[in-house]
Amino acid sequence: SQQFSALTEVLFRFLTEPKEVERFLTQLSDFATMNKISLGPLKNIVKSILLVPNGALKRNLSPEQVRADFIALGLSEEKASYFAEQWKVNSPTLTRLAVGQTLMINQLIDMEWKFGVTAGSSELEKVGSIFLQLKLVIKKGSQLENVYVELTLPQFYSFLHEMERVKTSLESFS
Amino acid sequence: QLVSALHNLTRHVVYRGLTRAEDILCLFPENFHQNLKNLLTKIILENISAWRNEAQASKISLPRLVDMDWRVDIKTSSDSIVRMAVPTCLLQLKIQEDAALCGNNPVVSALTVELSKETLDTMLEGLGRIRDQLSAVANK
Repeated sequence: SQQFSALTEVLFRFLTEPKEVERFLTQLSDFATMNKISLGPLKNIVKSILLVPNGALKRNLSPEQVRADFIALGLSEEKASYFAEQWKVNSPTLTRLAVGQTLMINQLIDMEWKFGVTAGSSELEKVGSIFLQLKLVIKKGSQLENVYVELTLPQFYSFLHEMERVKTSLESFS
Repeated sequence: QLVSALHNLTRHVVYRGLTRAEDILCLFPENFHQNLKNLLTKIILENISAWRNEAQASKISLPRLVDMDWRVDIKTSSDSIVRMAVPTCLLQLKIQEDAALCGNNPVVSALTVELSKETLDTMLEGLGRIRDQLSAVANK
């Protein structure tokens, strides 16, 4: 059962950081060597085990349901309970990851700004108006795109006011 | 030739920001018809602020914000998670390209951007800092 808890730890570390594929595979092969299991069968077992948490996450299963699933699949009660415990501890992180993977349209990634003052132009000798230049970094599909937009000061204050209204709205739904 | 001369005159007045009748009157040559001179000056003075505003509005610039709309949606389901209730904001910005480049038909494009609550909070922090900077400049 020490083996099982070590393996569970490796699995959850991967689930909470799905980008660390290299690390996961290294840890798996270390585990195989330490416990004198061959890597091939271990990988197959791990693949099957991972189906349970992935399915559970999709369907918002409770820890009890996860435990029941594992028992139904033939795992001992002790091991199933242990896994379900780990699941309970990690599920906020895992849920946040799944929500983060949800489709976003033209997601706003970053915003930069600067002020400008127009001093003169070819039409007017002296001008002196302040404006705000915003640079929005937007994720379109897998690429980032920069959008430049200029706002007058009244527009800026109006924009700020509207965004505060959005915040109130979002907060009322959380 | 007449139109061109008038155009030059009005452009000069707008450029220099002349606002007094005397300044405009002294632009005319000495033997210019008196009544015509007064009439032209009167018309120019009437239109000067409109022309100035237009000139100011059409100076070279980055694309300008023309309009803005927003909407809050609640995401209830996705391929990665079957049941959830995540509020999200969709912001639509109507942006007009540089007026000087487009002549009489400026292109207005609509850009829809999605913001999560975290992104919105960060953005509001940034906008707050802009407001503080503006107040600091105004109070100098």
